[in-house]
Amino acid sequence: MPKCLVCYKWTLDEKDIKIKPEDLSLDTSRAKGKISDFDRNAIEEATRIVEQHGGTVHALTYGTSAVSESLKDVLSRGPETIYWISDNSAETADACVTANVLAAAVRKLESYDLILCGEGSSDLFNQQTAARLAALLGLPCITYVEKLSVEGDTVRATRKLADCTEVATVKGPVVLSVLGTINKPRIPSLKQVLGAAKKPKKEIKIADLGLNAEQLHPKSIHKTVKGFVAKRKTIIYREANAAANVGKLTSSLAAEGLL
Amino acid sequence: MSILTAEQQEIKKAAKEFVAKHIIPNAAEYDKTAEFHPFLLEAAKESKIFTMAIPKKYGGLGYEAVTQAVVVEEWGYGCAGMGTTLAAGVLGMDSLLIAGNEEQKQRYFDPILKGGIAAFALTEPGAGSDAAGVRTTAVRSGDEYIINGTKCFITNGGYASVYVILAKTDPSKGVKGISAFMVERGRPGFTIGETEHKLGIRSSNTVELLLKNVQVPAGNLIGKEGDGMKIAMMTLDMGRPMIAALAVGVAQRALDECVKYLHQRFPGKLQPGQTLQFKLADMQIQLEAARQTLHYTMNLRDSGLPYSKESAITKTLCGDVAMSVTTQAVSLMGSYAYTSEIAKLMRDAKIMQVYEGTNQIQRLVVSRAVLSPAPAVAAGQKAA
Amino acid sequence: MNFQLTEEQRLIEQSAHDFAKEYLDPVVEQLDHTGDFPKAIIKELANHDFLGLHLPADVGGAGAGFVSYVAVIESLSRSCAAVASIMNNQAMVSYAIQHWGTEAQKKQYVQALVKGETIGAFAIYEHGPTPGIGPDALAATKRDGGYVLKGTKAYVRNAGEAGVYVAFAITDSAEPNALTAFVVDAKATGLKVGPKLNTMGLRGCPVAHVTFDNVSVPETAVLGAVKSGREIATRVLTLASVAEAAQTVGIGQAALEHAALYAKQRVQFGKPVATLQAVQTLLAEAATDCYLARLGLRSAAQLIEDAKPFETEAAIVKSFLARLGSKILVDTCQVEGGMGYSEAMPLPRLFRDIAGTTLLDAPADFPDYAIAASIA
Repeated sequence: MPKCLVCYKWTLDEKDIKIKPEDLSLDTSRAKGKISDFDRNAIEEATRIVEQHGGTVHALTYGTSAVSESLKDVLSRGPETIYWISDNSAETADACVTANVLAAAVRKLESYDLILCGEGSSDLFNQQTAARLAALLGLPCITYVEKLSVEGDTVRATRKLADCTEVATVKGPVVLSVLGTINKPRIPSLKQVLGAAKKPKKEIKIADLGLNAEQLHPKSIHKTVKGFVAKRKTIIYREANAAANVGKLTSSLAAEGLL
Repeated sequence: MSILTAEQQEIKKAAKEFVAKHIIPNAAEYDKTAEFHPFLLEAAKESKIFTMAIPKKYGGLGYEAVTQAVVVEEWGYGCAGMGTTLAAGVLGMDSLLIAGNEEQKQRYFDPILKGGIAAFALTEPGAGSDAAGVRTTAVRSGDEYIINGTKCFITNGGYASVYVILAKTDPSKGVKGISAFMVERGRPGFTIGETEHKLGIRSSNTVELLLKNVQVPAGNLIGKEGDGMKIAMMTLDMGRPMIAALAVGVAQRALDECVKYLHQRFPGKLQPGQTLQFKLADMQIQLEAARQTLHYTMNLRDSGLPYSKESAITKTLCGDVAMSVTTQAVSLMGSYAYTSEIAKLMRDAKIMQVYEGTNQIQRLVVSRAVLSPAPAVAAGQKAA
Repeated sequence: MNFQLTEEQRLIEQSAHDFAKEYLDPVVEQLDHTGDFPKAIIKELANHDFLGLHLPADVGGAGAGFVSYVAVIESLSRSCAAVASIMNNQAMVSYAIQHWGTEAQKKQYVQALVKGETIGAFAIYEHGPTPGIGPDALAATKRDGGYVLKGTKAYVRNAGEAGVYVAFAITDSAEPNALTAFVVDAKATGLKVGPKLNTMGLRGCPVAHVTFDNVSVPETAVLGAVKSGREIATRVLTLASVAEAAQTVGIGQAALEHAALYAKQRVQFGKPVATLQAVQTLLAEAATDCYLARLGLRSAAQLIEDAKPFETEAAIVKSFLARLGSKILVDTCQVEGGMGYSEAMPLPRLFRDIAGTTLLDAPADFPDYAIAASIA
């Protein structure tokens, strides 16, 4: 009956973000929030484990005031209780700060058997939070998890690495970060959506976490973010016939080392 | 509508009979299967209607433009798909009428007089509204031209005996580098590509043409090198009112079906109220206005006067009216329309706003005419 | 005044959107070709609680309001309006029985409808000018502790697949306006479903005429009170008209998005046609109509949810879309030019579908006279 905690991030939906052609800056004014993609997989995985083995799923998030929009969304996907921390520091937080906050919160909550995160967030994909969190909590960490099972007190995780898969087992509490391929998140049924209203949503005030200013100060700072627009070469070969054009094209591709 | 002469009345009656006999009974079935209708070509051959645009001196019926419009409207009334086949068969000849020399005319009209059809091939994947974007090439080689390229959305392409094909003879000259060629079916390298499955006019044959090193004699060049776009535009000037005529036919059919249905639905004492009456009136008003612009345009043409602007006006109006009237008819006839041939009228009407120059292109033509410099002051009047 | 969906409504809409992407998008083209009833999808709709969306929890419903309902219908319609049609017609029956049914009728049918185990069909229209008038009008004659139904209902949606019909009949030919609603099991002897009609669009939602050839039904088959059927029909059809409006907007929005995408990549005259004012006008008008229609229908839906009078507002929405619904597709097809006419693209299917959602299916002077009557 594992006690699971899923840490998730509420990010901007990248499909709503527009790149301003003048200076490639981002217009996020119409971007709606979403649960970070792989975090959604983490929530689904925890929910499945508990459906199979019994136990509980809690969710935990640290973000700006926007996180209040995320609570029912997450609760409609399986977790029974959600803990949320809303603070301006989240605006500039890097993985270091995020891990500090989450670790402090976890220490205040109960002891969990599994702490799940997404392998990386939809917006930054640093892939650091899980590892830092585990280090701060003094727990083992298994990343790149593509398959997960619980057998008694043993957790068995298959990791998808660049050139192989690796199976790791661990007894006792563990932090895991999961890939998008681990499962297909279910579509919340309407009853689950409406049921979310009744589930407990507990705020944790950052002041109660006992963190000092340095712990909330990011070690890496974002200066600017620019959009990327592929610049096409727009070279058109207009020789007299197709054969000549093909010849020119293959020559230029070869010159660029592509052939 | 022009006041028709006795002879035109006779021709209209004959066209109605042709349509009632060959088109109306078969329209729904061919729309469903989207199959082409060779039987119609046989019937058309007998009545020689393809030759209505061919002057008498070449052996054709040589109808006036107004008369042609009257006939084409009847075709549209019966079925826009079959009507498109017949009308496009005429369009395919127009370029020759405009710019062909005597020898070419004889050669081109011959298969048509024998019952074949023609096709006009301008459109390409990269050249839709931007007709000047033609990329098919025609390279002079001794006594011949070698043509290479792809045409798409070509009506009658799979069944025509003769084609007018627009191709670039001089890539450095832009629009002025396009020329018009007559190409006979069967020339090596000339194949038919994909058939398009469409929302409406489904039984009309719409295909890709693939030209790979197709050799045509230099004598197949229509007009001079570089005349192609001018010929194409003049061809479209002739063709657009024919589409307008089809559209008027479709709209008239929709209105007639609506009236028939309402008589059935509201028999005897139960008459439709004013709201419904006025909807019918508005349909009639639109239809009447559309037909009148068409006939006026054809009068101009028959009189030898310029009619480009009027051609664009009537094609736009008639196409939009057909769309509006058929949509209104479907709305009034409800589920009956939605499950019957009436829905076909609405599907068929849509293309009238698109082919032979979208109604947006037509509006460009009209607005240019509207915005062009003020006309010269008439003799005898003082300048303002 | 809040014009935004509540959080719950937004999440429900999101679920519908995700459902549509997963279950409808992969099959919509095929469904349009074959017109085969999508049984598996209806089951999934039930599994995700969509079929009981509007019904209370004690009958297995989700107890969500009408605003959520129209948001779901719009989301599903963006992918496959035929499935939304099936769902709407199903809801008409489950709503009618839940609202006016006896405990026995509710027990027999509502849960089964919510679970998608039974399909419902609402049989109101006839070949005559209005139900109750005409030689083939459905008539119910009292006999032996029950009624015998004879006549034909026309253009019944979900016919043939339905396990239960709610049919409206006259009990007295001298009172053609006094209709009585009956709940009739599809297996009743004498109930004959005609051949499936060939609909212009919304294929997958079957439409057929249903003949009642001396169908015997017990007294207990009456839904609501005898001769009060018109009240039931009017209310259900008015609700359905708002739901249908959501279908229209969903289809229009899908067409608009596809046309915009096409216009951005279609290059003519050296630039994407989306940069041409001619195309911008077409897209802008379509976007305007969708936006205003959506506002109107959600406002009407809110009145329904708040149990306030809504008939005039529903008629206004219907009138607006009767005038402009098809125009959205006429114009978005136009943006795609020749390609907008090719069945290889989705626009033609959307064109065919949207016409089915704006049919008045009512006296041709409704809704305008109803709106005018409310003002003057």
